[in-house]
Amino acid sequence: MNRKLINWGLGIGTPLLLVAAWWAVSQNSTNTFFPPLATILERFQALWLFDHFGSDVLLSLRNLALGYALATVIGVGLGFVTALVPVVRWALDPLIHFFRGIPPVALVPIFISLIGFGIEMRLVSIILAALFPTLIATVDGIRSVDPSLKDVSAVYRLTRTEKLAQVYLPAAGPQIAAGMQVSLQVAFIVMIASEMLGASQGIGAMTLLAQQSFMTSDMWAGILLLGVIGFGANMLFELAKNKVLAWYVGSRRLAKS
Amino acid sequence: MNRNLRQLLVSAGGIAAALALWQFIATGPMAGGPLPPVSATLAELAGLLADGGFWTALADTLVIALAGLAAAAVAGVVLGVLIGSFEPVRYATLAVLEFLKPIPPIVILPLVVLVFGPTTEMSWFLVFFGCVLPIIVQTVAGVHDADPVTLDTARSYGLGRTEILARVTLPSAMPFIGTAMRVSAPAALVITVVAGLLGGGPGLGRSIYQAQAGGDYPTLYAYVVVLGLLGLAFQGASQLAERRLLHWHASYREVLTP
Repeated sequence: MNRKLINWGLGIGTPLLLVAAWWAVSQNSTNTFFPPLATILERFQALWLFDHFGSDVLLSLRNLALGYALATVIGVGLGFVTALVPVVRWALDPLIHFFRGIPPVALVPIFISLIGFGIEMRLVSIILAALFPTLIATVDGIRSVDPSLKDVSAVYRLTRTEKLAQVYLPAAGPQIAAGMQVSLQVAFIVMIASEMLGASQGIGAMTLLAQQSFMTSDMWAGILLLGVIGFGANMLFELAKNKVLAWYVGSRRLAKS
Repeated sequence: MNRNLRQLLVSAGGIAAALALWQFIATGPMAGGPLPPVSATLAELAGLLADGGFWTALADTLVIALAGLAAAAVAGVVLGVLIGSFEPVRYATLAVLEFLKPIPPIVILPLVVLVFGPTTEMSWFLVFFGCVLPIIVQTVAGVHDADPVTLDTARSYGLGRTEILARVTLPSAMPFIGTAMRVSAPAALVITVVAGLLGGGPGLGRSIYQAQAGGDYPTLYAYVVVLGLLGLAFQGASQLAERRLLHWHASYREVLTP
Protein backbone atom coordinates (compact mmCIF):
# COMPACT_ATOMS: atom_id res chain seq x y z
CA MET A 1 0.00 0.00 0.00
CA ASN A 2 2.72 2.38 1.08
CA ARG A 3 4.76 1.35 -1.93
CA LYS A 4 1.87 2.07 -4.26
CA LEU A 5 1.52 5.53 -2.77
CA ILE A 6 5.21 6.23 -3.40
CA ASN A 7 4.87 5.06 -7.00
CA TRP A 8 1.89 7.30 -7.56
CA GLY A 9 3.78 10.19 -6.03
CA LEU A 10 6.68 9.52 -8.38
CA GLY A 11 4.37 9.37 -11.38
CA ILE A 12 2.79 12.73 -10.63
CA GLY A 13 5.86 14.33 -9.09
CA THR A 14 8.40 13.74 -11.84
CA PRO A 15 6.64 15.71 -14.59
CA LEU A 16 6.05 18.59 -12.17
CA LEU A 17 9.69 18.43 -11.11
CA LEU A 18 10.83 18.50 -14.75
CA VAL A 19 8.70 21.55 -15.52
CA ALA A 20 10.00 23.25 -12.39
CA ALA A 21 13.56 22.41 -13.41
CA TRP A 22 12.93 23.84 -16.89
CA TRP A 23 11.56 26.99 -15.31
CA ALA A 24 14.50 27.37 -12.92
CA VAL A 25 17.27 26.58 -15.38
CA SER A 26 15.88 28.75 -18.16
CA GLN A 27 14.98 31.64 -15.86
CA ASN A 28 17.95 33.82 -16.68
CA SER A 29 18.72 32.23 -20.01
CA THR A 30 20.11 34.56 -22.64
CA ASN A 31 20.50 31.75 -25.18
CA THR A 32 18.43 32.77 -28.19
CA PHE A 33 17.34 29.18 -28.86
CA PHE A 34 16.12 28.47 -25.34
CA PRO A 35 14.32 31.48 -23.89
CA PRO A 36 13.03 31.46 -20.29
CA LEU A 37 9.91 29.36 -19.80
CA ALA A 38 8.19 32.36 -18.25
CA THR A 39 8.61 34.29 -21.52
CA ILE A 40 7.34 31.33 -23.56
CA LEU A 41 4.20 31.05 -21.45
CA GLU A 42 3.69 34.79 -21.69
CA ARG A 43 3.87 34.58 -25.48
CA PHE A 44 1.66 31.49 -25.42
CA GLN A 45 -1.02 33.45 -23.63
CA ALA A 46 -0.56 36.50 -25.84
CA LEU A 47 -0.69 34.53 -29.08
CA TRP A 48 -3.20 31.76 -28.56
CA LEU A 49 -5.47 33.01 -25.76
CA PHE A 50 -7.33 34.37 -27.61
CA ASP A 51 -5.73 36.67 -30.15
CA HIS A 52 -5.15 34.10 -32.89
CA PHE A 53 -7.55 31.56 -31.50
CA GLY A 54 -10.35 32.17 -33.96
CA SER A 55 -8.21 32.89 -37.01
CA ASP A 56 -5.58 30.16 -36.66
CA VAL A 57 -6.19 27.63 -33.89
CA LEU A 58 -9.81 26.98 -34.78
CA LEU A 59 -8.93 26.88 -38.47
CA SER A 60 -6.30 24.19 -37.92
CA LEU A 61 -8.50 22.19 -35.59
CA ARG A 62 -11.45 22.35 -37.99
CA ASN A 63 -9.29 21.11 -40.85
CA LEU A 64 -8.01 18.31 -38.65
CA ALA A 65 -11.44 17.25 -37.39
CA LEU A 66 -13.22 17.49 -40.73
CA GLY A 67 -10.41 15.82 -42.69
CA TYR A 68 -10.04 13.05 -40.17
CA ALA A 69 -13.79 12.40 -39.97
CA LEU A 70 -14.13 12.16 -43.74
CA ALA A 71 -11.02 9.98 -43.99
CA THR A 72 -12.37 7.46 -41.49
CA VAL A 73 -15.81 7.30 -43.08
CA ILE A 74 -14.36 6.81 -46.56
CA GLY A 75 -11.68 4.46 -45.24
CA VAL A 76 -14.08 2.16 -43.41
CA GLY A 77 -16.62 2.23 -46.24
CA LEU A 78 -14.09 1.56 -48.96
CA GLY A 79 -12.47 -1.04 -46.73
CA PHE A 80 -15.73 -2.97 -46.43
CA VAL A 81 -16.28 -2.95 -50.19
CA THR A 82 -12.67 -3.90 -50.88
CA ALA A 83 -12.69 -6.73 -48.39
CA LEU A 84 -16.05 -8.23 -49.34
CA VAL A 85 -16.06 -7.91 -53.14
CA PRO A 86 -13.22 -9.98 -54.57
CA VAL A 87 -13.07 -8.21 -57.94
CA VAL A 88 -12.69 -4.83 -56.25
CA ARG A 89 -10.04 -6.25 -53.95
CA TRP A 90 -8.01 -7.70 -56.81
CA ALA A 91 -8.21 -4.49 -58.77
CA LEU A 92 -7.41 -2.12 -55.89
CA ASP A 93 -4.91 -4.14 -53.87
CA PRO A 94 -1.75 -3.19 -55.81
CA LEU A 95 -2.79 0.47 -55.95
CA ILE A 96 -3.55 0.61 -52.23
CA HIS A 97 -0.20 -0.91 -51.40
CA PHE A 98 1.64 1.49 -53.65
CA PHE A 99 -0.06 4.55 -52.12
CA ARG A 100 0.58 3.21 -48.67
CA GLY A 101 4.31 3.25 -49.39
CA ILE A 102 4.39 6.95 -50.20
CA PRO A 103 5.25 9.07 -47.16
CA PRO A 104 2.00 11.02 -46.58
CA VAL A 105 3.76 14.36 -46.36
CA ALA A 106 5.29 13.84 -49.83
CA LEU A 107 1.78 14.07 -51.28
CA VAL A 108 1.35 17.63 -50.00
CA PRO A 109 3.52 19.23 -52.75
CA ILE A 110 1.42 17.41 -55.35
CA PHE A 111 -1.81 18.78 -53.94
CA ILE A 112 -0.28 22.25 -53.74
CA SER A 113 0.55 22.05 -57.44
CA LEU A 114 -2.94 20.79 -58.27
CA ILE A 115 -5.20 22.85 -56.01
CA GLY A 116 -2.99 25.68 -54.75
CA PHE A 117 -2.32 26.79 -51.18
CA GLY A 118 -5.92 27.19 -49.98
CA ILE A 119 -7.89 25.41 -47.32
CA GLU A 120 -9.19 22.86 -49.85
CA MET A 121 -5.61 21.68 -50.45
CA ARG A 122 -5.03 21.20 -46.74
CA LEU A 123 -8.29 19.33 -46.33
CA VAL A 124 -7.71 17.07 -49.34
CA SER A 125 -4.15 16.34 -48.18
CA ILE A 126 -5.37 15.35 -44.72
CA ILE A 127 -8.18 13.16 -46.09
CA LEU A 128 -6.04 11.29 -48.59
CA ALA A 129 -3.11 10.78 -46.26
CA ALA A 130 -5.23 9.66 -43.31
CA LEU A 131 -7.39 7.40 -45.47
CA PHE A 132 -4.91 4.58 -46.01
CA PRO A 133 -4.17 3.35 -42.46
CA THR A 134 -7.90 3.01 -41.74
CA LEU A 135 -8.63 1.47 -45.14
CA ILE A 136 -5.89 -1.15 -44.85
CA ALA A 137 -6.78 -1.98 -41.24
CA THR A 138 -10.45 -2.39 -42.20
CA VAL A 139 -9.62 -4.73 -45.08
CA ASP A 140 -7.29 -6.80 -42.87
CA GLY A 141 -9.79 -6.82 -40.02
CA ILE A 142 -12.67 -8.08 -42.14
CA ARG A 143 -10.51 -10.58 -43.99
CA SER A 144 -9.47 -12.13 -40.68
CA VAL A 145 -13.00 -12.51 -39.30
CA ASP A 146 -13.35 -15.98 -37.87
CA PRO A 147 -14.86 -18.27 -40.56
CA SER A 148 -17.11 -19.91 -38.00
CA LEU A 149 -18.71 -16.51 -37.36
CA LYS A 150 -19.52 -16.33 -41.07
CA ASP A 151 -20.97 -19.85 -40.99
CA VAL A 152 -23.09 -19.05 -37.94
CA SER A 153 -24.46 -15.89 -39.53
CA ALA A 154 -25.26 -17.89 -42.66
CA VAL A 155 -27.04 -20.55 -40.60
CA TYR A 156 -29.10 -17.90 -38.82
CA ARG A 157 -29.93 -16.44 -42.25
CA LEU A 158 -28.90 -12.94 -41.26
CA THR A 159 -29.63 -10.37 -43.92
CA ARG A 160 -26.78 -8.56 -45.57
CA THR A 161 -27.21 -5.43 -43.41
CA GLU A 162 -27.43 -7.47 -40.24
CA LYS A 163 -24.28 -9.33 -41.18
CA LEU A 164 -22.38 -6.13 -41.90
CA ALA A 165 -23.51 -4.21 -38.83
CA GLN A 166 -23.70 -6.99 -36.26
CA VAL A 167 -21.05 -9.49 -37.27
CA TYR A 168 -18.35 -7.98 -39.45
CA LEU A 169 -18.16 -4.52 -37.89
CA PRO A 170 -17.76 -5.68 -34.27
CA ALA A 171 -15.44 -8.53 -35.24
CA ALA A 172 -13.15 -6.18 -37.16
CA GLY A 173 -13.65 -3.37 -34.62
CA PRO A 174 -10.40 -3.65 -32.67
CA GLN A 175 -8.33 -3.70 -35.85
CA ILE A 176 -10.28 -0.81 -37.38
CA ALA A 177 -9.72 1.17 -34.18
CA ALA A 178 -5.97 0.52 -34.36
CA GLY A 179 -5.94 1.76 -37.95
CA MET A 180 -7.99 4.81 -37.01
CA GLN A 181 -5.47 5.68 -34.31
CA VAL A 182 -2.65 5.65 -36.87
CA SER A 183 -4.85 7.73 -39.18
CA LEU A 184 -5.28 10.31 -36.45
CA GLN A 185 -1.51 10.63 -36.08
CA VAL A 186 -1.09 10.95 -39.85
CA ALA A 187 -3.88 13.52 -40.08
CA PHE A 188 -2.21 15.58 -37.37
CA ILE A 189 1.20 15.41 -39.09
CA VAL A 190 -0.25 16.34 -42.48
CA MET A 191 -2.23 19.18 -40.90
CA ILE A 192 1.04 20.69 -39.66
CA ALA A 193 2.97 19.92 -42.85
CA SER A 194 0.30 21.38 -45.15
CA GLU A 195 0.39 24.59 -43.11
CA MET A 196 4.16 24.74 -43.02
CA LEU A 197 4.44 24.41 -46.81
CA GLY A 198 3.38 27.85 -47.90
CA ALA A 199 0.15 28.55 -46.05
CA SER A 200 -0.04 31.82 -44.13
CA GLN A 201 -2.67 30.78 -41.62
CA GLY A 202 -2.84 28.03 -39.05
CA ILE A 203 -0.74 26.97 -36.08
CA GLY A 204 1.93 25.26 -38.19
CA ALA A 205 2.34 28.27 -40.47
CA MET A 206 2.64 30.65 -37.52
CA THR A 207 5.16 28.43 -35.76
CA LEU A 208 7.37 28.13 -38.83
CA LEU A 209 7.05 31.85 -39.55
CA ALA A 210 8.15 32.63 -35.98
CA GLN A 211 11.14 30.34 -36.45
CA GLN A 212 12.14 31.97 -39.74
CA SER A 213 11.95 35.44 -38.22
CA PHE A 214 13.91 34.30 -35.11
CA MET A 215 11.05 34.99 -32.71
CA THR A 216 12.07 32.04 -30.61
CA SER A 217 9.53 32.49 -27.83
CA ASP A 218 6.68 32.55 -30.34
CA MET A 219 8.06 29.40 -31.95
CA TRP A 220 8.23 27.67 -28.57
CA ALA A 221 4.66 28.77 -27.86
CA GLY A 222 3.59 27.15 -31.15
CA ILE A 223 5.48 23.94 -30.36
CA LEU A 224 3.84 23.78 -26.94
CA LEU A 225 0.38 24.26 -28.41
CA LEU A 226 0.97 21.62 -31.11
CA GLY A 227 2.31 19.23 -28.48
CA VAL A 228 -0.76 19.71 -26.32
CA ILE A 229 -3.07 19.20 -29.32
CA GLY A 230 -1.21 16.03 -30.37
CA PHE A 231 -1.44 14.63 -26.87
CA GLY A 232 -5.04 15.74 -26.36
CA ALA A 233 -6.29 14.29 -29.65
CA ASN A 234 -4.72 10.95 -28.86
CA MET A 235 -6.15 10.95 -25.36
CA LEU A 236 -9.66 11.71 -26.62
CA PHE A 237 -9.30 8.86 -29.09
CA GLU A 238 -8.19 6.46 -26.35
CA LEU A 239 -11.15 7.43 -24.18
CA ALA A 240 -13.61 6.95 -27.04
CA LYS A 241 -11.98 3.67 -28.05
CA ASN A 242 -12.14 2.25 -24.54
CA LYS A 243 -15.79 3.17 -24.36
CA VAL A 244 -16.79 1.74 -27.75
CA LEU A 245 -14.61 -1.35 -27.45
CA ALA A 246 -15.28 -1.92 -23.74
CA TRP A 247 -16.37 -5.51 -24.46
CA TYR A 248 -13.08 -6.19 -26.22
CA VAL A 249 -10.88 -4.60 -23.55
CA GLY A 250 -12.74 -6.61 -20.92
CA SER A 251 -12.41 -9.89 -22.78
CA ARG A 252 -8.68 -9.28 -23.30
CA ARG A 253 -8.21 -8.65 -19.60
CA LEU A 254 -10.04 -11.86 -18.79
CA ALA A 255 -7.99 -13.85 -21.28
CA LYS A 256 -4.77 -12.51 -19.79
CA SER A 257 -5.46 -13.25 -16.13
CA MET B 1 -10.45 -19.93 -66.11
CA ASN B 2 -7.97 -20.44 -63.34
CA ARG B 3 -8.82 -18.34 -60.29
CA ASN B 4 -5.25 -17.15 -59.70
CA LEU B 5 -4.88 -16.13 -63.30
CA ARG B 6 -8.13 -14.20 -63.22
CA GLN B 7 -7.03 -12.44 -60.03
CA LEU B 8 -3.74 -11.50 -61.68
CA LEU B 9 -5.53 -10.19 -64.75
CA VAL B 10 -7.92 -8.06 -62.68
CA SER B 11 -4.97 -6.65 -60.70
CA ALA B 12 -3.13 -5.78 -63.87
CA GLY B 13 -6.33 -4.28 -65.25
CA GLY B 14 -6.68 -2.11 -62.13
CA ILE B 15 -3.18 -0.74 -62.53
CA ALA B 16 -3.65 -0.20 -66.27
CA ALA B 17 -6.99 1.56 -65.71
CA ALA B 18 -5.47 3.88 -63.11
CA LEU B 19 -2.58 4.75 -65.42
CA ALA B 20 -4.94 5.26 -68.37
CA LEU B 21 -7.17 7.55 -66.29
CA TRP B 22 -4.12 9.55 -65.23
CA GLN B 23 -2.91 9.82 -68.82
CA PHE B 24 -6.39 10.81 -70.05
CA ILE B 25 -6.84 13.57 -67.45
CA ALA B 26 -3.32 14.85 -67.98
CA THR B 27 -3.57 15.06 -71.78
CA GLY B 28 -7.28 15.85 -72.04
CA PRO B 29 -9.07 18.11 -69.53
CA MET B 30 -5.93 19.28 -67.74
CA ALA B 31 -3.45 19.39 -70.62
CA GLY B 32 -0.62 21.86 -70.05
CA GLY B 33 -1.58 22.16 -66.36
CA PRO B 34 0.30 21.01 -63.28
CA LEU B 35 -0.53 17.34 -63.85
CA PRO B 36 2.12 15.78 -66.10
CA PRO B 37 1.16 12.83 -68.31
CA VAL B 38 2.30 9.33 -67.35
CA SER B 39 4.68 9.25 -70.29
CA ALA B 40 6.46 12.43 -69.21
CA THR B 41 6.70 11.18 -65.62
CA LEU B 42 8.15 7.85 -66.70
CA ALA B 43 10.62 9.58 -69.03
CA GLU B 44 11.67 11.84 -66.17
CA LEU B 45 12.01 8.81 -63.90
CA ALA B 46 14.35 7.19 -66.42
CA GLY B 47 16.25 10.47 -66.63
CA LEU B 48 16.64 10.53 -62.84
CA LEU B 49 18.06 7.03 -62.79
CA ALA B 50 20.86 8.18 -65.09
CA ASP B 51 21.52 11.28 -62.97
CA GLY B 52 24.25 11.30 -60.34
CA GLY B 53 22.48 13.88 -58.17
CA PHE B 54 19.51 11.55 -57.74
CA TRP B 55 21.69 8.73 -56.47
CA THR B 56 23.42 11.09 -54.01
CA ALA B 57 20.04 12.23 -52.68
CA LEU B 58 18.87 8.61 -52.43
CA ALA B 59 22.06 7.62 -50.57
CA ASP B 60 21.70 10.61 -48.21
CA THR B 61 18.12 9.64 -47.43
CA LEU B 62 19.01 6.01 -46.76
CA VAL B 63 22.04 6.84 -44.61
CA ILE B 64 20.12 9.36 -42.48
CA ALA B 65 17.11 7.08 -42.02
CA LEU B 66 19.16 3.99 -41.16
CA ALA B 67 21.69 5.80 -38.93
CA GLY B 68 18.91 7.54 -37.00
CA LEU B 69 17.01 4.26 -36.68
CA ALA B 70 20.10 2.36 -35.48
CA ALA B 71 20.95 4.99 -32.87
CA ALA B 72 17.32 5.07 -31.72
CA ALA B 73 17.25 1.27 -31.47
CA VAL B 74 20.37 1.09 -29.29
CA ALA B 75 19.42 4.02 -27.06
CA GLY B 76 15.79 2.93 -26.90
CA VAL B 77 16.51 -0.66 -25.86
CA VAL B 78 19.13 0.35 -23.27
CA LEU B 79 16.92 3.02 -21.75
CA GLY B 80 13.88 0.78 -21.96
CA VAL B 81 15.62 -2.06 -20.10
CA LEU B 82 16.87 0.35 -17.43
CA ILE B 83 13.46 1.96 -16.97
CA GLY B 84 11.64 -1.36 -17.04
CA SER B 85 13.96 -3.04 -14.54
CA PHE B 86 13.39 -0.56 -11.72
CA GLU B 87 9.81 -0.13 -10.60
CA PRO B 88 10.21 3.43 -9.16
CA VAL B 89 11.91 4.62 -12.36
CA ARG B 90 9.10 3.13 -14.42
CA TYR B 91 6.49 5.02 -12.46
CA ALA B 92 8.52 8.21 -12.52
CA THR B 93 8.86 8.18 -16.33
CA LEU B 94 5.40 6.83 -17.16
CA ALA B 95 3.59 10.15 -17.39
CA VAL B 96 6.45 11.86 -19.23
CA LEU B 97 6.72 9.09 -21.84
CA GLU B 98 2.96 8.88 -22.29
CA PHE B 99 2.82 12.61 -22.85
CA LEU B 100 5.68 12.70 -25.36
CA LYS B 101 4.74 9.53 -27.29
CA PRO B 102 1.78 10.83 -29.32
CA ILE B 103 3.65 14.01 -30.30
CA PRO B 104 5.13 13.54 -33.79
CA PRO B 105 8.67 14.83 -34.51
CA ILE B 106 7.32 17.37 -37.01
CA VAL B 107 6.17 19.40 -33.98
CA ILE B 108 9.74 20.08 -32.84
CA LEU B 109 11.05 20.48 -36.41
CA PRO B 110 11.17 24.32 -36.24
CA LEU B 111 13.30 24.18 -33.08
CA VAL B 112 15.63 21.50 -34.44
CA VAL B 113 16.12 23.44 -37.69
CA LEU B 114 16.85 26.57 -35.69
CA VAL B 115 19.52 24.80 -33.62
CA PHE B 116 21.17 22.63 -36.29
CA GLY B 117 20.34 24.45 -39.52
CA PRO B 118 19.37 22.55 -42.69
CA THR B 119 21.99 19.84 -42.20
CA THR B 120 22.40 16.08 -42.05
CA GLU B 121 22.60 16.30 -38.24
CA MET B 122 19.22 18.03 -38.15
CA SER B 123 17.53 15.25 -40.14
CA TRP B 124 19.34 12.61 -38.16
CA PHE B 125 18.26 14.09 -34.84
CA LEU B 126 14.63 14.25 -35.95
CA VAL B 127 14.69 10.60 -37.01
CA PHE B 128 16.31 9.67 -33.71
CA PHE B 129 13.76 11.62 -31.70
CA GLY B 130 10.84 10.21 -33.66
CA CYS B 131 11.93 6.57 -33.36
CA VAL B 132 13.44 6.41 -29.89
CA LEU B 133 10.26 7.04 -27.88
CA PRO B 134 8.15 4.19 -29.29
CA ILE B 135 11.11 1.84 -28.89
CA ILE B 136 11.60 2.87 -25.24
CA VAL B 137 7.91 2.49 -24.45
CA GLN B 138 7.69 -0.92 -26.13
CA THR B 139 10.87 -2.17 -24.47
CA VAL B 140 9.59 -1.12 -21.05
CA ALA B 141 6.34 -2.96 -21.77
CA GLY B 142 8.29 -6.02 -22.92
CA VAL B 143 10.55 -6.09 -19.86
CA HIS B 144 7.52 -5.69 -17.65
CA ASP B 145 5.77 -8.54 -19.45
CA ALA B 146 8.43 -11.14 -18.53
CA ASP B 147 6.83 -14.20 -16.97
CA PRO B 148 7.19 -13.94 -13.16
CA VAL B 149 7.42 -17.72 -12.81
CA THR B 150 10.36 -17.86 -15.23
CA LEU B 151 12.01 -15.00 -13.38
CA ASP B 152 11.57 -16.76 -10.03
CA THR B 153 12.86 -20.01 -11.49
CA ALA B 154 15.95 -18.27 -12.82
CA ARG B 155 16.50 -16.66 -9.46
CA SER B 156 16.20 -19.92 -7.56
CA TYR B 157 18.71 -21.51 -9.93
CA GLY B 158 21.06 -18.82 -8.70
CA LEU B 159 21.42 -16.89 -11.97
CA GLY B 160 22.96 -13.45 -11.57
CA ARG B 161 21.33 -10.20 -12.55
CA THR B 162 23.07 -9.92 -15.91
CA GLU B 163 22.35 -13.53 -16.71
CA ILE B 164 18.65 -13.13 -15.95
CA LEU B 165 18.65 -10.03 -18.11
CA ALA B 166 20.32 -11.82 -21.03
CA ARG B 167 18.44 -15.11 -20.79
CA VAL B 168 14.97 -14.23 -19.53
CA THR B 169 14.13 -10.55 -19.66
CA LEU B 170 15.56 -9.64 -23.04
CA PRO B 171 14.27 -12.69 -24.94
CA SER B 172 10.79 -12.15 -23.56
CA ALA B 173 10.93 -8.47 -24.52
CA MET B 174 12.11 -9.26 -28.04
CA PRO B 175 8.67 -9.40 -29.74
CA PHE B 176 7.80 -6.01 -28.26
CA ILE B 177 11.07 -4.56 -29.52
CA GLY B 178 10.52 -6.26 -32.87
CA THR B 179 7.09 -4.66 -33.24
CA ALA B 180 8.52 -1.27 -32.35
CA MET B 181 11.29 -1.69 -34.92
CA ARG B 182 8.87 -2.79 -37.64
CA VAL B 183 6.80 0.35 -37.06
CA SER B 184 9.84 2.59 -36.68
CA ALA B 185 11.67 1.59 -39.86
CA PRO B 186 9.11 3.04 -42.32
CA ALA B 187 8.63 5.97 -39.92
CA ALA B 188 12.38 6.71 -40.12
CA LEU B 189 12.08 7.06 -43.89
CA VAL B 190 9.02 9.29 -43.58
CA ILE B 191 10.74 11.54 -41.04
CA THR B 192 13.83 11.85 -43.24
CA VAL B 193 11.62 12.99 -46.11
CA VAL B 194 9.76 15.44 -43.84
CA ALA B 195 13.04 16.85 -42.56
CA GLY B 196 14.18 17.41 -46.15
CA LEU B 197 10.87 18.77 -47.38
CA LEU B 198 10.15 21.19 -44.52
CA GLY B 199 13.56 21.65 -42.94
CA GLY B 200 15.80 21.63 -46.00
CA GLY B 201 17.87 18.64 -44.86
CA PRO B 202 19.70 16.70 -47.58
CA GLY B 203 18.00 13.84 -49.43
CA LEU B 204 14.91 13.13 -51.49
CA GLY B 205 12.69 15.40 -49.39
CA ARG B 206 14.72 18.42 -50.43
CA SER B 207 14.66 17.25 -54.06
CA ILE B 208 10.84 17.12 -53.91
CA TYR B 209 10.71 20.61 -52.43
CA GLN B 210 12.97 21.97 -55.15
CA ALA B 211 10.94 20.29 -57.90
CA GLN B 212 7.71 21.74 -56.49
CA ALA B 213 9.12 25.22 -55.91
CA GLY B 214 10.58 25.24 -59.43
CA GLY B 215 7.32 24.11 -61.00
CA ASP B 216 9.07 21.06 -62.45
CA TYR B 217 6.05 18.77 -62.20
CA PRO B 218 7.26 15.65 -64.05
CA THR B 219 10.27 15.55 -61.70
CA LEU B 220 8.01 16.05 -58.68
CA TYR B 221 5.85 13.07 -59.68
CA ALA B 222 8.89 10.96 -60.52
CA TYR B 223 10.31 11.58 -57.03
CA VAL B 224 7.00 10.68 -55.40
CA VAL B 225 6.92 7.43 -57.39
CA VAL B 226 10.47 6.69 -56.21
CA LEU B 227 9.44 7.39 -52.61
CA GLY B 228 6.45 5.09 -52.93
CA LEU B 229 8.68 2.24 -54.07
CA LEU B 230 11.23 3.04 -51.39
CA GLY B 231 8.50 3.07 -48.73
CA LEU B 232 7.28 -0.33 -49.88
CA ALA B 233 10.85 -1.65 -49.74
CA PHE B 234 11.27 -0.38 -46.17
CA GLN B 235 7.98 -1.93 -45.06
CA GLY B 236 8.75 -5.22 -46.74
CA ALA B 237 12.30 -5.39 -45.40
CA SER B 238 11.29 -4.63 -41.82
CA GLN B 239 8.48 -7.19 -41.90
CA LEU B 240 10.80 -9.81 -43.31
CA ALA B 241 13.54 -9.00 -40.79
CA GLU B 242 11.09 -9.22 -37.91
CA ARG B 243 9.83 -12.61 -39.02
CA ARG B 244 13.33 -13.95 -39.73
CA LEU B 245 14.86 -12.77 -36.47
CA LEU B 246 11.99 -13.70 -34.17
CA HIS B 247 10.75 -16.96 -35.67
CA TRP B 248 11.84 -18.81 -32.51
CA HIS B 249 9.54 -16.86 -30.23
CA ALA B 250 6.28 -18.43 -29.13
CA SER B 251 4.15 -15.57 -30.46
CA TYR B 252 5.61 -15.99 -33.96
CA ARG B 253 5.50 -19.75 -34.27
CA GLU B 254 3.00 -20.78 -36.88
CA VAL B 255 -0.12 -22.24 -35.41
CA LEU B 256 -1.15 -25.33 -37.30
CA THR B 257 -4.69 -24.96 -38.48
CA PRO B 258 -6.62 -27.76 -40.12
